[in-house]
Amino acid sequence: MSIATQLILNGIIAGAIYALVASGFSLIYSVTKFMHFAHGAVLALGAYLMYTFAVGIGLNFWLAILLTLICSSFAGVLMDWLVYRPLRKRKASGAVLLIASIALMILVNSLILAFWGADVKTVPVRNPVFDVLGARVTLIQVIIIIVSVVLLLALWFLMKRTKLGKAMRAVADNKDVAMTVGINPERIYTYTFAIGSFLAGVAGILIGIEQNLYPIMGLSLIIKGFTGAVIGSLASVPGSVLGSLILGLVENIGIWWLPSGYKDAIAFVLLFIFLLFRPSGLLGVKVREA
Amino acid sequence: MAFINYLIHLAILVGIYSILTVSLNLAVGFTGLLNLGHVGFFGIGAYASALLSMYGVPVWASIILGGFAGMVAGILLALPTTRLKGDYLALATLGFAFIMGSVARNWTDVTRGALGIPGIPKIVRGNTEFLVVVLIIAIITYFIFWKISRSRFGKTCEAIRDDELAAKMLGKDTFMHKIAALGISAFFAGIGGALFAHYITFIDPSIFGLGDLILLFSMLIVGGLASVKGSAIGTIIIFLLPEPLRFIGFPSSILGPMREIIFALILLLILIYRPKGILGKVDLA
Repeated sequence: MSIATQLILNGIIAGAIYALVASGFSLIYSVTKFMHFAHGAVLALGAYLMYTFAVGIGLNFWLAILLTLICSSFAGVLMDWLVYRPLRKRKASGAVLLIASIALMILVNSLILAFWGADVKTVPVRNPVFDVLGARVTLIQVIIIIVSVVLLLALWFLMKRTKLGKAMRAVADNKDVAMTVGINPERIYTYTFAIGSFLAGVAGILIGIEQNLYPIMGLSLIIKGFTGAVIGSLASVPGSVLGSLILGLVENIGIWWLPSGYKDAIAFVLLFIFLLFRPSGLLGVKVREA
Repeated sequence: MAFINYLIHLAILVGIYSILTVSLNLAVGFTGLLNLGHVGFFGIGAYASALLSMYGVPVWASIILGGFAGMVAGILLALPTTRLKGDYLALATLGFAFIMGSVARNWTDVTRGALGIPGIPKIVRGNTEFLVVVLIIAIITYFIFWKISRSRFGKTCEAIRDDELAAKMLGKDTFMHKIAALGISAFFAGIGGALFAHYITFIDPSIFGLGDLILLFSMLIVGGLASVKGSAIGTIIIFLLPEPLRFIGFPSSILGPMREIIFALILLLILIYRPKGILGKVDLA
């Protein structure tokens, strides 16, 4: 019995982690309408900066978190300014932006590899273990679940209740009409990348503490993140969070029958099924024609 | 002597990668299918040929079978996915490459997982002889793709890329054309993978990695979409560009990431400043 509880709990924790990745990814997708794979690289950068600030330089823990979040937001905005904005200016297609984002991803991954090296790093923190219904859960995992719920609520509030959120939705719906009512889409894109990459920073810090740091961590996480987003709905943040949760549960309950090495394969099979039969995801209404 | 050996090594890799780039161009450049799973066919060809040859199949036959393994995978992937548009096709084909990597890592009874397969037999004894083999196959490949690009089939593929509905209205079976384009493209990727496996004599699941994908797209886009000659030129340029770094004396732990950084930067710059590449006819749709 406790094995079943443990698997479900592991599924929820994994789902919360994927949701942290997917929420920023799908926020950016919903406004800019292209897949920003390099989101995973921003996440990895966040984890490594946290390591450097907290362990390398030995700053105060909270100060290190603050600096990391500022740096990751800025990294995302910089990507938008230096790469995506020039591409948008020459009216590049979604395919070009997609290839560019993969190139950015590899670029940042390789920079991390060159600066920090290939060895696995850890951010040591006190991480007591709790017992929940016969299953083990660590403090960091509880924090991850709480933070992903809080962030989801905050994002919902931002999108539905604030002026910025309204402007973001307007740009997402129809950029040209948004311009005619005086919204500057470029500025909205900058805010979107700042907020999305802030989320990547949060994810990077938490995942970096919970697991280990390795240069391609961003890649494996963004794959799970976009799979979760596709399952829920690429263009909807609540959808992508729901999809991530489903992905986490299916993966972890699936290893009841399959060897645990097949976790990734389960995710990809799910991704395939949804791409082929319901590309708009569970909560999506329409499929965007390319 | 060491320098000549190094040049031969480079020439062999350029030959193999140009087969990959030229074949990728049929799907991405000519037919407009944004296929991010080319490394999947490459890896399948490599694994299939390596395993077959180790079970006693003659190497030349296993290379051709490696090509067919790639083609079967290409057709199986194309059947459900070619109706997907743009980003979704890209995601599905990328997912395919990841699944293949995952299978190679986990199907340990056959692939030995992360340990990889060492001791793959060589085709010919020396590298110079192997270079001749690769060059002959590469030239045959260019010739075939050059013929395809000028054939009725190739023109129809380009019509599908530019306006699928119009091609349909002219009575073209666009579905079959897309399947055939991806199948042919995957066949040559499989051949390229097989040549790679028999040259390096060792393969592991990292063959399915994203790094090679970026390398292929840099070559493809620098050379230019829908240009067979462009793909060959792009391969040579991109492959040789980071080589001088070797002589500056960076440690190998920096050299690997440095190469990837250069490839990624070139790809970004060309996408921003010269999206049609050197000889390209179209932009990435």
